[in-house]
Amino acid sequence: MVHKKYTKKEIAAGVLASLMTIIILTFYLWHITENIRLGYEIGRCENSLQTLREEVKKLEAKKASLLSLERVEKTAREKLNLTEPKEGQIIYEDF
Amino acid sequence: MRIFEPKAMNLPTDVYQKKVRKRTRILAFLLTVWVIGIFIRLIDLQVFLHAGFKAQVVKQNQDRTKILPERGTIYDRNGKILARSIPVPSIFYSPPSEEPFELQMKTILRLEATLGLSAKDIERIKSRLQKKFSFAWIKRKVDVDTAQQVKALGLNGVSFREEPKRFYPQAKLAAHVLGGVDIDDKGQSGIELAYDQVLRGKEGEVLILRDVKRREYYSEVLKEPQSGKDITLTIDENIQYIAQRELEKAVLENRANWATAIVSRPDSGEILAMASYPAFDPNAYPPSPEQEINRAIRYNFEPGSTFKIVTASAALENRAVSLNDIFDCSEGSIAIAGSPIRDHKKFGLLTLPGVVAHSSNVGMIQVGLRIDPDAFYRTIQAFGFGRKTGLDLPAEESGLLMPPKKWSRRSLPALSIGYEISATALQVLQAVNIIANRGLLIAPKIVGAIEGSSVIAQKESTPPDRKISEKTADTLIKILEQVVLEGTGQAAWINGYTVAGKTGTTQKIDPELKRYSSFKHIASFVGFVPVEKPAISMIVVLDEPQKAEYYGGQVAAPVFREISSQVLRYLRVSPQKSLMKAALTAEPGREGER
Repeated sequence: MVHKKYTKKEIAAGVLASLMTIIILTFYLWHITENIRLGYEIGRCENSLQTLREEVKKLEAKKASLLSLERVEKTAREKLNLTEPKEGQIIYEDF
Repeated sequence: MRIFEPKAMNLPTDVYQKKVRKRTRILAFLLTVWVIGIFIRLIDLQVFLHAGFKAQVVKQNQDRTKILPERGTIYDRNGKILARSIPVPSIFYSPPSEEPFELQMKTILRLEATLGLSAKDIERIKSRLQKKFSFAWIKRKVDVDTAQQVKALGLNGVSFREEPKRFYPQAKLAAHVLGGVDIDDKGQSGIELAYDQVLRGKEGEVLILRDVKRREYYSEVLKEPQSGKDITLTIDENIQYIAQRELEKAVLENRANWATAIVSRPDSGEILAMASYPAFDPNAYPPSPEQEINRAIRYNFEPGSTFKIVTASAALENRAVSLNDIFDCSEGSIAIAGSPIRDHKKFGLLTLPGVVAHSSNVGMIQVGLRIDPDAFYRTIQAFGFGRKTGLDLPAEESGLLMPPKKWSRRSLPALSIGYEISATALQVLQAVNIIANRGLLIAPKIVGAIEGSSVIAQKESTPPDRKISEKTADTLIKILEQVVLEGTGQAAWINGYTVAGKTGTTQKIDPELKRYSSFKHIASFVGFVPVEKPAISMIVVLDEPQKAEYYGGQVAAPVFREISSQVLRYLRVSPQKSLMKAALTAEPGREGER
């Protein structure tokens, strides 16, 4: 069997081509992997955002409940001993 | 390996080769048959039995479940939350297939105390398990603490899913307007029912994959749910609160059966408050049928003397009377079709303003008898009686108004004083709003905007309808002001403000005696304030006040005053200094209040 003898230039070109192929394949694989990883990350962030939105809604509803006028009046009257103003106690700006 | 060599078997080479070929052929034949057999079986499985097996797998491993969309939020006119859906845990059971039925039921019974399951709940779950369902709700929409307790038990097959639950942060506030929803967040009454399609949104769907032990290992949303739209009401949380509080106080003080009050802005028709007592907490929907009735729009009653506004309007509009005409009320009663109709006292001679101010039945019947029946009927219709106001709330009553051809000899006199006609509180308020708007009908509204888009602006694109002349309305305003200053409505007078209004005291029909009762009354007051540019109009109705005082002027007018004075302060409508001085120095003569 006769082996062709490659020149140094040809060997360098071959190595370079192989290296380029490996680099491109590696980049491609990294790209795919990164895409998938980011996809998971986005999914996690979306879930987290949704959870936080729901939490905000819950807190707004809770705030509305805590500021309910019945509760505010009860606190004002019983804890702070506030009473309705008498007629002479109200000063009207445009009077 | 030597034994298979020809020499080892003492066979000649050609015989040996022949033997090997024969065995090879047999082996190849068997292998071919085997491969064909497998191939046929594969075709059988993949083609002919495929659908059946797929269905079995889908049944065992997949669940397609609806995702309830998030229901829109209901706000008051200032953006305060009145109703909102928030996610809460629901508990369900996916029975492990390897577990016998008895063990499955044992798991359910372990939750009986923690979740407060009723016998009906247990029976429902049992029935589903017996029918081999792969899913059964144990308890829906529980609080977070209860869900944590159940999670801590670590029961096999018990899982959790979040579902939206309607939450009414102000509990009883505006309950009759808001209404309520069922367990699936479907509107059942009030705005929740009237705008159910708008609020509800569209359902989504989720695919859940389970392993052989029925454990959920993958889920995918197949169809995203579409959230419902938010609704902004014309209701003002603060005014609604004031109205409900004062109404409750009045019912308890007067030992009335029920009461209702509506506060509106006459110039726009916006309802600022609509209260009914008894109220209910929509968080614990459904209430009792008695509590659920929105009496402002669902209860018809004979309006009585508040209807004299319409009679006076018809008389003035049709020029049947003039302001200087004298009506003899000195007898204190008038015979109509053989039976007397009485005043609460003898008034002597009265003009039309006097008849309205003192709420004389005798005088008003004489006024009514001067009006052409058809013209009177047309005026009553023009004021909106006998048909729904068109408010965006379900089950509004239209009231009852008979056409003149069905009237008896008693009908015209009876109608003149607000009998033989039934109306809702909202219809009576709408009639007074026509006076407050100087003869223009502006329909009542309760929904301000849907998802930020104004509903009122759309409705206001059509010009208001004139029902009576401005002149007639102005005359009536002056008369109604007299009602509060020196007539039956003095208890509605507010220091520093001009108030116009009319009292009403209706005798109810006793269902046992089948005639008007002397003990059962409906007391009402309807009016607006300030007269020059009305900021609010209001009606207050109390059913069967049990104390010695039961007249509208004694029972309902003070409630009007209490609510109005607080609402005017809240709306920053200042009193008039000149009026205040005059009022303080010249306290109006308080006659026997009616």
